[in-house]
Amino acid sequence: MTILDISELTLDLPNGTRLLDGISLTVAEGETVGLVGESGSGKSLTARSVLGLLPGGAVMGGSVQLFGRSVLDASRGELLELRRTRASMIFQDPRAGINPMRTVGDHLTETMRLCDGRSAAEARAVAISLMEAVHLPRPAEHLHQYPHELSGGMLQRVMIAGALTSSPRLLICDEPTTALDVTTQAEIIGVLAEQRASRGMGMLFITHDLNLAAAICDRVYVMSAGRVEEQGDARQVFRNPQADYTKRLVAATPTISVAGDRGRSPVDGSDAAATGVRSATAPVPAEPMLEAVGISKTYLRRGKEPVRAVIDATIEIPRGGALGVVGESGSGKSTLARMIVGLEQADAGDIRIAGRERASARASRAERLAHARSMQMVFQDPYLSLDPRITAGKAIEDALRLHSRLGTTEARARVIELLEQVGLRDAHAQARPRTLSGGQRQRVAIARALAIDPHVLVMDEATSALDVSVQAQVLGVVERIRRERGLTVLFISHDLAVVRRLCEQTVVMKTGEIVERGRTDELLSTPRHPYTRLLIDSVPRPDWQPETVAGEADALEEAAR
Amino acid sequence: MTALRRVAGKLGALLLTLFLASLLVFFSRFLVPGDPLSFLLRGRKPSAEAVAQVSAQYGLDLPPWQQYLNWLAGVLQGDLGRSLQYRQDVTEVIGDRLPVTLGLVVMAGAIIAVLGLTAGIVASLNRGRILDRAVLVGLTVLGAIPSFVGSIVLIAVFAVQLGWFPSFGSGEGFLDTVYHLVLPSIALALVFVVLVGKVTRSSMVEQLGREHVEVATSRGLKRGTVIRRHVVRNSIGPILTVSGVLVAGLLVASAIVEAAFGLAGIGSLLVQSVDRLDFPVVQAIVLLVVAAFVTVNAVIDVLEPLVDPRAAAGVGAR
Repeated sequence: MTILDISELTLDLPNGTRLLDGISLTVAEGETVGLVGESGSGKSLTARSVLGLLPGGAVMGGSVQLFGRSVLDASRGELLELRRTRASMIFQDPRAGINPMRTVGDHLTETMRLCDGRSAAEARAVAISLMEAVHLPRPAEHLHQYPHELSGGMLQRVMIAGALTSSPRLLICDEPTTALDVTTQAEIIGVLAEQRASRGMGMLFITHDLNLAAAICDRVYVMSAGRVEEQGDARQVFRNPQADYTKRLVAATPTISVAGDRGRSPVDGSDAAATGVRSATAPVPAEPMLEAVGISKTYLRRGKEPVRAVIDATIEIPRGGALGVVGESGSGKSTLARMIVGLEQADAGDIRIAGRERASARASRAERLAHARSMQMVFQDPYLSLDPRITAGKAIEDALRLHSRLGTTEARARVIELLEQVGLRDAHAQARPRTLSGGQRQRVAIARALAIDPHVLVMDEATSALDVSVQAQVLGVVERIRRERGLTVLFISHDLAVVRRLCEQTVVMKTGEIVERGRTDELLSTPRHPYTRLLIDSVPRPDWQPETVAGEADALEEAAR
Repeated sequence: MTALRRVAGKLGALLLTLFLASLLVFFSRFLVPGDPLSFLLRGRKPSAEAVAQVSAQYGLDLPPWQQYLNWLAGVLQGDLGRSLQYRQDVTEVIGDRLPVTLGLVVMAGAIIAVLGLTAGIVASLNRGRILDRAVLVGLTVLGAIPSFVGSIVLIAVFAVQLGWFPSFGSGEGFLDTVYHLVLPSIALALVFVVLVGKVTRSSMVEQLGREHVEVATSRGLKRGTVIRRHVVRNSIGPILTVSGVLVAGLLVASAIVEAAFGLAGIGSLLVQSVDRLDFPVVQAIVLLVVAAFVTVNAVIDVLEPLVDPRAAAGVGAR
């Protein structure tokens, strides 16, 4: 039985912008349907329209039928009724989605008490049983806790439990795992799958991750720019995409499968050569470009246990090499990067760049400049790392002139050269960051970092905030520059697939320690440490088993005790 | 335990602030042109001995730091010195006038809370619509009117033309006092209504855009419930902060309104005492205002964790 039937749905803003353009999709009882697309594709808007959550002043066309009732024409009362009994939604970021000033118990019981008229005790009992169902460890205790006292993964379970209080027949999940670590993602997906199966709900699952959609969905719809580009059996679409857009998307999606069950087609022409780079740069290491020996960092906190962010870490990158540092949030990978760049002072250990000791914190201006010349960093969020009032060209020029004695005309010429190296044009020099897309901004950030010819480029989650196709472009740019200039790269990421594409060596970090290191392909094909294995198994793929991953995670936790 | 420590810390900070303020207040008088002696002597030209005698009587012949210590010792014992103009104890002079100003500030505070919050909430819920713009324009216009102009207009319309309220004096007895203070407290409140209204509106607008509000809506809660439980409560933080600054502003601005309505309050006393170089009174009033300001802000700091549990845990508010 079809429970959700969207047909020819259009959405226009009052200013005439068409955000949704003829969307048609259906969800049957017990079915999991994926809605895949990049940012701005309209996938979230489509999902929100099911619950009548529409932007102010939007003009709608077409129809949305939920259990045979039209959502778009529903009265306010009918809409409340639909939201209370038929469909629930789980949002992307549980930390933003649960009121931080109220307790978890209040969040869970609020609709039962205020909408269903159940007594507080009854609502409490239901809340506790739901928390048990989503495997929260201490339900009775969580009732009185505030959101900031729980981890992201636990909070997402609270969000799921909250969505289930109304016993919905359709569960809408809007990127429910995007804000979470990859091992936590597996756990949450496991919980969702379990609940869907036991309750026989239909599920509309929105994600940007094709791998994830292929892993858990029966059917998928691929959306781009407000249109459905392709639909069909999830694995079929993934393995054998028909529409051009889907083909590009599949090609741009990095994968960790070493054998390569599908050929990765080049994105911007540089990719094919990238494999060549790997063997070409496979080093005859005379002297390492970057060497960090036994560095540690402990943060002291007032009235609390100190945090050992990095414990005795040793890494080495040969000239022209690329090292990936992989780990989840809290693993210490960013602290490691910040110490190497000099944004943090290591408590112990030596850092050498091109054989020279890294200057201490109290270094003179000249020493700090010299260090900056040898080492540049690209940050995660290109929206935050560029000054909004300074044009792209000026941002690069400033870096140039700080470190060299170039005249104005020479500097300008060099800026254009740099912009072209990262695949932008001279016209972009005049652009302010807000007029550039995320990918363009990150390329400007890379150009700025490369302006002074650093020995080492440190990229801290530099592609994590980008859409996959944009990420592919940026990775392509970095690969090409490595090939052309023999740049040494330290690449920090939570994403094994991205690291696989860029780095020949990888280290895996867990709670401050490096637990495994080696050649990236070997590490991925024959992981030795159970945590590395867990990370690899947590990455969604078509024949993915979230339950096995959860088992592995439990085993690892047991071992840690 | 931590709450206790917080309060103790606040108390320490309060005492330190008061001490520093007392230093500043006391020694500022030596920077001001004019000499209390010449006021005491009222333009007479007495003999040098007479001058020396008066100086000694008021302790003005001692070095400044000793004068300060004497004064501080007095303050600690509850003796704020003697007023030069009234030839009375400062505590008495202030004590006579404090109730009027307190009444004025409390009534103005109530008006600010009711009007400011209402205007802010109404505007934010109708964001971008005509009502929102009307409220914003109205607030801006009100905020542009200086207190003394507002006072004059209120007197002209409600006291002189309509005759609804008295235009002068502070009345006898509780109800009569409240009746007398209606117009002054409105005049005093106007500027601050704008401040609170705008802060409320922007805080509400920010919270309305939060994802947890959309989540609450998606769960089938009525709009009123969502606003009450998830928007208003979460918007209180910035409003509390602004209220702290407001208290000092009210006490200071009361000087103008008291003058306009002929009220014998602290504000008009301050102006008058500065004019007549009556330093003991000026010092006492300034100290009082500083104490009120610091105390209110300390209370707000203590209240904050009750409103936002994250503040207690030291987690950054988002």
